[in-house]
Amino acid sequence: MTTSDDHSDDVALAGEYVLHLLDAEARRAFEDRLNAEPDLRGLVADWDAHFDPLSSDFEPVAPPALVKSRIEGVLFAQAAKPRWPLSLWQMVMGAGFAGAVAVAVLVVVPLTNAPDPFTPSLIAELSAQDQSLLVMASYAPDTGILRIVRQTGSARDGRVLELWLIADGATEPVSLGVLPEDRAADIILPTDLANAIAGGTLAISDEPTGGSPTGAPTGDVLAAGAVISI
Amino acid sequence: MNTRNDVEQMIARVGLGDRAAFSSLYDATSAKLFGVCLRILKDRAEAEDTLQEAFVRIWQKAGTYVANGFSPMTWLITLTRNLAIDKLRKRKAGSVDIDEVYDLADSGPTPEAAAVASSERDQIDGCLNELEATRAGAVRDAYIEGHSYTELAAKYGVPLNTMRTWLRRSLVKLKDCLTR
Repeated sequence: MTTSDDHSDDVALAGEYVLHLLDAEARRAFEDRLNAEPDLRGLVADWDAHFDPLSSDFEPVAPPALVKSRIEGVLFAQAAKPRWPLSLWQMVMGAGFAGAVAVAVLVVVPLTNAPDPFTPSLIAELSAQDQSLLVMASYAPDTGILRIVRQTGSARDGRVLELWLIADGATEPVSLGVLPEDRAADIILPTDLANAIAGGTLAISDEPTGGSPTGAPTGDVLAAGAVISI
Repeated sequence: MNTRNDVEQMIARVGLGDRAAFSSLYDATSAKLFGVCLRILKDRAEAEDTLQEAFVRIWQKAGTYVANGFSPMTWLITLTRNLAIDKLRKRKAGSVDIDEVYDLADSGPTPEAAAVASSERDQIDGCLNELEATRAGAVRDAYIEGHSYTELAAKYGVPLNTMRTWLRRSLVKLKDCLTR
């Protein structure tokens, strides 16, 4: 194949990439090349610019006001001293279980009004199908902090909300603890869980006071969301 | 109406962590970006989620926008459209696994493309008109509706491989025309 054929191939490939026409495998292979080939990045940037005038076909529609407050909530959440109830670990030990249950040891960090250096690179939006419960989670790897902000909904009467991580490829969820009554809380993830959060799914289940007695969700899964990079 | 310069300045200030600028940027651009999400996803709840993801990402990435050569709306629309189409494909694949969207911010358009962008809509329309009507339609549908090859093949009543060949040839012709 000649150099000019190769170039035409790349022109078409970059266009297909920008239009999202490549299947998952081809897309990943192309992204690997993008990281290594500035010329290819140039072709992608050109297509983005070429197609941009077509975007005048996107009619503006004002989004509901709630969306803005949700976004500002997840980015700028500040709350006063959440109380994190008994961790699952304490609960399990307190109840006399000696089984080898994998649990998270959680440290609750009070949120203050000091300047906030929190810069998350992973987020998840945990929402119920009927939107009755919406919780935003954001994780900043350099701090190990997972910030939880409950936007709408609350635990059922006499019940609690428990947060779980289902790591990518894992079959069993791991408890991250019971959500406090406060709207927002920061939790510090131990290293093994911190390493497992990327690509995982966070979920919230309905549990008895104190959290699941078994180390696995016992009630309804009320909301879930994939952890994505931002 | 905000000018390109206004939006550019807002993004620059957002890049420095200015929350008031973020609020202004949201007010100035969210309707357009929500329009992008709605057109592609055709589902209000998903469009709202995607708009939220887009603005979280804009807050995080605004610092990398500065002086990369893109018009600010191109940057915002591309970022949002990428997220919306990703969500669309994931919905159809029935999977929660989300690919990293390649970020256009680290490479601006070549001077060639920047010049093309300045003549706006006429040029891309002119070049699309040089293609057969159905082939131009397929390119437009891929961009505006986020259609996959499978959907395009069904819509235009041709086999998948034929659609792929058509579209790749159309892209090469389009590029020749756009850079003539």
